[in-house]
Amino acid sequence: MKHWIIVLVLAATPAAAQDSSTYTPPKTRDGQPDLQGIWQVLNTASWDIQDHGASLGVPAGHGVVDGNDIPYTPAALAKKQENFKNRQALDPLNKCFLPGVPRVTYLPYPFQIVQQRERIDILHEYSRVIRYIYMNGNPHPPGPIDWFMGDSRGRFDGNTLVVDVIHFNDETWFDRAGNHHSDALHVVERFTPTDRDHMNYEVTIEDPKTFTRPWKMSMPIYRRQEKDAELLEYECGPYLLQEEWNKPNSALFNQR
Amino acid sequence: MRQLLLVASVVIASAVLVRGQAFYKPDTPKFPQARTWVAQRAKLPPYKAPRTPDGVPDLQGNWNGPIGGGNDDLEEHDYIDVTTPPQESYISDPPDGKVPYTPWALAKRNEIRAGLARGWPGETGQRLYGDPAALCLVGMPRSSFGAQEIVQTRNQVILLTANTYRVIPTDGRAHLSSGAKTFFGNSRGRWEGETLVVDVTGVNGETWIDSAGNFYGPNTHMIERWTRVEPNTIDYQITLEDPTLYTRPWTMTYPKRRQGTGAGANPGGTTAASAVANVNNDRYAKEVWENTCIEGNIDNVAEIKSLGFKWFNPMVP
Repeated sequence: MKHWIIVLVLAATPAAAQDSSTYTPPKTRDGQPDLQGIWQVLNTASWDIQDHGASLGVPAGHGVVDGNDIPYTPAALAKKQENFKNRQALDPLNKCFLPGVPRVTYLPYPFQIVQQRERIDILHEYSRVIRYIYMNGNPHPPGPIDWFMGDSRGRFDGNTLVVDVIHFNDETWFDRAGNHHSDALHVVERFTPTDRDHMNYEVTIEDPKTFTRPWKMSMPIYRRQEKDAELLEYECGPYLLQEEWNKPNSALFNQR
Repeated sequence: MRQLLLVASVVIASAVLVRGQAFYKPDTPKFPQARTWVAQRAKLPPYKAPRTPDGVPDLQGNWNGPIGGGNDDLEEHDYIDVTTPPQESYISDPPDGKVPYTPWALAKRNEIRAGLARGWPGETGQRLYGDPAALCLVGMPRSSFGAQEIVQTRNQVILLTANTYRVIPTDGRAHLSSGAKTFFGNSRGRWEGETLVVDVTGVNGETWIDSAGNFYGPNTHMIERWTRVEPNTIDYQITLEDPTLYTRPWTMTYPKRRQGTGAGANPGGTTAASAVANVNNDRYAKEVWENTCIEGNIDNVAEIKSLGFKWFNPMVP
């Protein structure tokens, strides 16, 4: 009887919920907690960050938003619904534009973290996107600057990598379901190693032009276990252009 | 603030155009490439590079691409236009500096070149293919011709350019099977004394080697050799083998100079931190900032298409 209880408790504890204070990651040569390696999420946030049922090509999934509700202003909620209706045409990812943050983290493609003292690089397999996270003590440069991926400044809070990201444009979405933001977006990401092969990824979203209050999402990130795990290639833009080049009524070219 | 904004918008607007493009006059002296460098290299004293903590030669840092007008046309040529100054060939072998194409492939290259519609001598006036790089297509071997930052971790060499990267494992792993084609192929590195030797297979042949229509193909095998021959110079060599396109293996050679040392600085080239090259002495001067391509250039791409240029498909006889 006692054995059964132990088994149940272990099975019911997801990696992300483990107490991070009990795990101390190894250190890099520069003394930072070592988060290097190849990682990937294993969820359906890429399609919809909220609870959702399945449809053609879309797996059903638990949402990753704390409490599931996103506190849109009324106008922003109307825009979300419009985006959802026209998502095939409007999703910026369908034009192969840079995916934005945090969307790039939970695309279903692996990424590699590379640490140096003054900069942490995240190399994404998706379109070979590189995120440079500066740890050099420089503050965000003065704006306004409108970047797809924003400007990332990082620091360690204990074993947690905290990344503050601002200077976004309003041309990226959070998922394929049309969840959106403005250029006032402020993202704070927290990467917390919970054991050798897992991190908890917690994101705080703030955007007073779009939301009535800050909100959060969180999910585990998994270390790829394959012995020969490596980043390969997904070159979105070239595939799209080749596909559209000889179409007589290419939406990509004709809408220009 | 305005300066930063300007930099940001310039970067977006110029991504497809040749970055950091310089403009040359007809009386520009011929830029030295392989011939001159090979002669210089022969006179260098032996050099042993410092080691990384893992005990391999330390190639880390920011390195420029070759001097001159870039690899606009990799074979030796006189002044062609304001962006194509006179230049020696990048090819160190064969000694004549020409790509040793088979007759079929040479005819194809000449056909492509005659259809570039760049206003170059010998063109037919018809538009055939535009340079794939103008459509934001990047691949081997051309990605090595720009500035790169090299970062070494245990069992990996990572090459970072302004908006793309390569990861080269040096742990002895095998290549993917030959049917798995990608723009960058798969790179497998190993250390031979002072030299990082990188074996590249699985390239898809969908990009060019230069902007003048010199090409490789999906059967091409590339071998790079990276050797630090002085504290601030890497000797870069790349050999292409492909019996379906070339009559023999051939090799391009040039020095990559460490940025900021003034050695062989590239007047028309880019640095990995070129996004902020205009704000030197600024605390952000060494940072690399967002560098988009298709996002800001879809109109340019649409225009290239509307002019009648065809999609370039890989060359297989």
